[in-house]
Amino acid sequence: MRGRMGKKIFYQIMALLLMAFLLLPIYQMVITALRPANLPWKSPMPLVPEKVTLTNFVTAFNIVPRLPRYLLNSFIYGIGVSVISLLVAIPAGHALARYHFRLRKPLMVFVIYANMFAPIMLLVPIYVIMKKFGLINTYLSVILSGSIFTIPLSTWLVTSYMQTIPRGIEEAALIDGCSDYSVITRIVIPMISPAMVSVFIYAFVTGWSQQFILALTLIKTDTLMPITQGLYQFFSRSSVRWNELMAAILMSTLVPVTMFLLVQRYIIKGLTSGSVKE
Amino acid sequence: MNKKTPYVLTLPLIAAFAIFIIYPLFKVFVDSFYHASFLNPFFRKFVGFENYNWLFTFKLFNPKVSYFLSAFWKSLIWVSGSVGIKVVIGTLGASLLNSGYLAGKKVYRTLVIVPWAIPWSMASMMWAWTLNSEFGVLNSLLMHLHVVDHPVTFLSLPTSAFIVTMIVDAWMGLPFMIIMILSGLQTIPESLYEAATIDGAGDLKKFFYITIPMIKPVLLTVTLLSTVWTFNSFDIIWILTKGGPMSATETLPIAIYKVAFLMTRFGGIGKASAMTIFQVAVVTIISIFYIRTLRKETES
Repeated sequence: MRGRMGKKIFYQIMALLLMAFLLLPIYQMVITALRPANLPWKSPMPLVPEKVTLTNFVTAFNIVPRLPRYLLNSFIYGIGVSVISLLVAIPAGHALARYHFRLRKPLMVFVIYANMFAPIMLLVPIYVIMKKFGLINTYLSVILSGSIFTIPLSTWLVTSYMQTIPRGIEEAALIDGCSDYSVITRIVIPMISPAMVSVFIYAFVTGWSQQFILALTLIKTDTLMPITQGLYQFFSRSSVRWNELMAAILMSTLVPVTMFLLVQRYIIKGLTSGSVKE
Repeated sequence: MNKKTPYVLTLPLIAAFAIFIIYPLFKVFVDSFYHASFLNPFFRKFVGFENYNWLFTFKLFNPKVSYFLSAFWKSLIWVSGSVGIKVVIGTLGASLLNSGYLAGKKVYRTLVIVPWAIPWSMASMMWAWTLNSEFGVLNSLLMHLHVVDHPVTFLSLPTSAFIVTMIVDAWMGLPFMIIMILSGLQTIPESLYEAATIDGAGDLKKFFYITIPMIKPVLLTVTLLSTVWTFNSFDIIWILTKGGPMSATETLPIAIYKVAFLMTRFGGIGKASAMTIFQVAVVTIISIFYIRTLRKETES
C-alpha cells in the first residue's frame, strides 16, 4: 500500500516537472506581459510579478501602431492557406478514398512524401518562380507557397476521415441520379464537416507558423508583413520592449491556441488513422 | 461513375504538386549547375559541377572543414540530439500520462499540446526572453534554487548555444511526440500487463518487454517524421542565434538561407541550390524509409 502511494507521488512529481519544462516560456510570457513596464528590471527577476497590470496590452499598440495591421495580414495569410488547402484537399481526398484509379497509389505515396517538405527546401526556386510571375510582395505569394506545405496533410486528413464513414449514402445518391460532382457538394461536404474544421484549423495554425520564413523572403513591404515579422518592431537597437512584446504575443497566440485545442482530437485521430493500403 | 471523375477531382492536387514541388525540385537541380545570383538577375552561366566543387572546398571560419560540410555535420549532430531528446522524453512522458497511478491525466494531456499551437517564431521569441541571461525566468529559477550563483549566458557561448537551441527545438516537437506515442500506448491490451503481473514482472521489466515492443511501430514512424521536421528546422535558430555565436549553430537550413539571400557576393542561387540538393536528398532517403514502415504497418 505504501509502495502504491509512493509511486503516485513520484509520478505526480515527474508529470509536474514535464509540465514545468513545457510551460516555462508560456509562464515567462504571461508574467512579463502582466508586469508593469515602468517597474525596474531586477536580476534575478522575481518569479511572481510584484505588481500586475493590463496596461501593456494597450501600450503595445502605441509602440507598434501597425500591430492590428500585422494581425490582419497574418489572418489573411492563415485564412488564404486554409481555404486553398480545403479546396484542393476535399475533392482529392474524396477521390483517393472512394475511387480506384491508376494514379491513386502513386498519389498517396507522393502525398506522404510531400508532407515531409518544408519551406527551406524550396525557398530558392519558390522565390525565383514568384519573381517571374511578379508576385513578390503580394499576399498571393505567401498564400500560394504556404498552401503547398499544408495541402499534403490536409488531403491525408480528408482521405482518412472519409475511409471511416460508410459509402452507402453516396451510392444511394448516385443511383438516384446525382452526378459524381454534386455528390460532393450535397452529400460529402455535409458529412465530413468535422474533418473540414480540423483541416481548416490545422492549415491555419501551420500557415500562421510558416509565415515567418516565407514572409522573410517573399515580402518586402512593411504593410504586408505578418505579425511574426511585425513583432520585430519591439526590438530597437538599444533595447527590447519585452513587456509589450510578450503582451502582443499573448494576444496573437490566444486565438490559434484556443482553436487548436478545440480540434486537437480530430487532428490526432486523422494523424494516427489512415493507411497507404488499397 | 465516370472513369475520368477521379482525375478531375485530383487535378488541383496534381497541379499543385507539379507547379510547387516537382517543378521547383527540377529547378533546384538545374540551377545547381549554373552560376547565378540575386545581385544580377540577367547573369546566368553554365558551370558544370563547379558549385558542387565549391561545397567541398570553400572554407569560411573553419580552416579544416568546408563551409558546407561543417553545416551538414552540425545539422546531423543537432538533429540527432534534438530527436533523441524528443524520443526519450516523449516515450517517458507518454507512459507517464498513460499510467493508472497519475491523477489529473486529462488536464495534463490538454496542457501538453499547448506548445504545438504556438507559431514557432513566437515561441522562439518567448524562449529568447526566457533564456535571457540577466532577466530571464530560467536564470532566476536556477538562482533561486541555488543551482548557479551567477546568471548563465545560454546563447552567447558556442557550445551552450548549440545545446540550448537543440533543447528549444525538442520543446517544440515534444507535444506531437507525446500525443502520438500516447495513442500508441492506448492500443496495448491491459491483459498483457495483468498477465505479466501474475508472472511477477516488475514495472521496469513490463516497460522494456511489453511497452517498448508494442509501441515500436509508432515509435519508428514518429521518429522518422520528427527527424525530417527537425532537419528542416529554421525559425528557432534564426531567431535565437542567427547561426551564431561564431557559426556554432549554423545548420544546413541556416547556411542555405545565408548563401542564397545574404552572402550574395560569394554565394548565390547556384551554390544554394547545390546545398539544397543535399537537404532534399536527406529528406528523400528518410521519406523512403518512412513510407516503407507505413506500408509494413498496414500490411501486418
